[in-house]
Amino acid sequence: MGDVVSLSAEADGSQPRSFRIVGAYEPTPDPMRLGAARHEVRLHLPDLIDLQDTGSNQLDTERVDAINVAIAPGSDAGAVGRRISTSVPGAITQRTGNDQRRTAPFVVLERFHLAIAIVTVLASSVFLLALMLMLVEERRATVGVLRLIGFRRSRILQHVLAEGVVIALAGAAFGILLSVVLEGGINRFFQWRYDTALVFVRITPGVAMRSIAVAVPLGVAAIFASSWSLLHKEVLALTRR
Amino acid sequence: MRALIFGARSLVRQPGRTALGILGIAAVGALLFDMLLLSRGLVVSFRDLLDSIGFDVRITATDSPLPAGVRMKDATRAASDVARLPQVAEVLPMRTANGEIVLSRGRVVPAGITGMDPGTRHPWTIVSGVDLTPRATPPEIVVNEQLRDEIGVAPGSELTLRAACDPGRAVAAPRTFKLVGVAQFPFDDEAQSTAVVSRDALREACGDDRDEADMLMVASSGGAAAAVTAIKAARPDLYPITNEQIVARMQTQGFTYFRQISAVLSAITLLFGFLLITVLLTVSVNQRLAEIAALRALGFSRMRAAADVFVQGALLVGVGGVLAVPLGMALSIWLDRILKTMPGIPSAMHFFVFEPRTLLTHVALLVATTLLASAYPMWLVARLPIAATLRSEVVG
Repeated sequence: MGDVVSLSAEADGSQPRSFRIVGAYEPTPDPMRLGAARHEVRLHLPDLIDLQDTGSNQLDTERVDAINVAIAPGSDAGAVGRRISTSVPGAITQRTGNDQRRTAPFVVLERFHLAIAIVTVLASSVFLLALMLMLVEERRATVGVLRLIGFRRSRILQHVLAEGVVIALAGAAFGILLSVVLEGGINRFFQWRYDTALVFVRITPGVAMRSIAVAVPLGVAAIFASSWSLLHKEVLALTRR
Repeated sequence: MRALIFGARSLVRQPGRTALGILGIAAVGALLFDMLLLSRGLVVSFRDLLDSIGFDVRITATDSPLPAGVRMKDATRAASDVARLPQVAEVLPMRTANGEIVLSRGRVVPAGITGMDPGTRHPWTIVSGVDLTPRATPPEIVVNEQLRDEIGVAPGSELTLRAACDPGRAVAAPRTFKLVGVAQFPFDDEAQSTAVVSRDALREACGDDRDEADMLMVASSGGAAAAVTAIKAARPDLYPITNEQIVARMQTQGFTYFRQISAVLSAITLLFGFLLITVLLTVSVNQRLAEIAALRALGFSRMRAAADVFVQGALLVGVGGVLAVPLGMALSIWLDRILKTMPGIPSAMHFFVFEPRTLLTHVALLVATTLLASAYPMWLVARLPIAATLRSEVVG
């Protein structure tokens, strides 16, 4: 801090200008530049224009890449944008919250993660079905005894479904709890890994509800499917007599 | 061998459970295989793409190996200095600019313009028409298929191009070019409109007399590393970089996200596979306690009983793992298609690329998972008290 450095806009370092370092800053997190070593400096705009001015073009001193506009509270951003577009010919106005060029990669990544989630759910479903098949097999004798003492198939099925709902809800709740616990750790790891303040994982109520909406019917369906053959077997076959 | 047959029979005896176990492992294995393909896919694909052009060294004016940065001044002299080196086979200066094709009724189609003289190596592939010829009059232009479809003209037609070469300068007057060919450019993405003209023609279209280039494309004659050393010695003011170095730089900066996501998902998939196999084998062992105790009473050793469990696990993972490879390849096509819609990704690049080492890693990880997952049920079987188990399972 306080050192004087030379900056040049030319590749060969010609026409350098001296600047004093007065501070260091944390760059605004930019998902597009994740992992990149960012070498940046901030200057006063007139100093930057002066640094780039080659004297060959009068317009050089009038040129900026963009003008950031903060609209007054309550104003309609769209209307302001349209008004600027019509009153300043050649100007392109764009809302910062609607920059499709910047968000496009993240829309693609969201689709990719959804595809991975679909495959994971399919694999989990097979796992669940295999597990339930084994668990139901263990209860073959219990179901047989229930049938022998007069329980109807529909009554046993109700029990099975109720148990399925409880297990699926408990599993989904545990899964969400686990992800909430892991959320902080994952974020801290990637923030450390990429030296960024970006948030990588955020468990929102919407995400939690979507997980429950997928997990519970899937769990119930697995229990139902695995119990189906057992409930339709003869009583004596169940009790192995 | 006996253990193998015995284990196989145990699995066949419960076909539903076995089929579901194999299916589950195949699905998990497919995802694991895809994550392994993803972990190096971009790097391998990017390296192949760079190498396919025929130039193995790039020279820029600054440390950045990408075009559209600070331009190199006096590029023709720099190119001839480099071309004189014995380690260099060919040098082509390249300059890029933005432009638009002006069509009738004022309609314009924006396009990325590359100014590059035709050499013996071409970073593009002509698909119809012919390539650029040196010093042609009127100046010639080759466009990519996307741009050809947008402007709707065929080779032999004339085009009006307005080039914007410097954001600080007024756009130059439009120039007329003769469209001589349609080409595929390796770094184009699906929606990119690109055209190439000679460097002199681009300079004229830009309306300036500056002899600048974004980079010099160099083909070495005796290896890229030797060429870089020679270039650095001859022109210390330039920044030569080999394809390998560009790939290494992209690996540490540009592609880290996919490496990380692949590592995380691989770990989760392995954990999932481990749980799946452990649970399947453990529950299976628990259901067969009486049978195992009876076999032990008949003379099966601890080792033999444990080997039976291991063989069952190995067969489940073996069959599932084999199925996982074609399943993973099919899945990777779908996932690759999703990721390639990301803007700026060249059409020729792929996120999932097969390498023999990926298959070896996949097999090694599945073997390790089988060993770990079988350990607990094998331990259960090995320490099973024969008499107590028979009493509780059969008599009880």
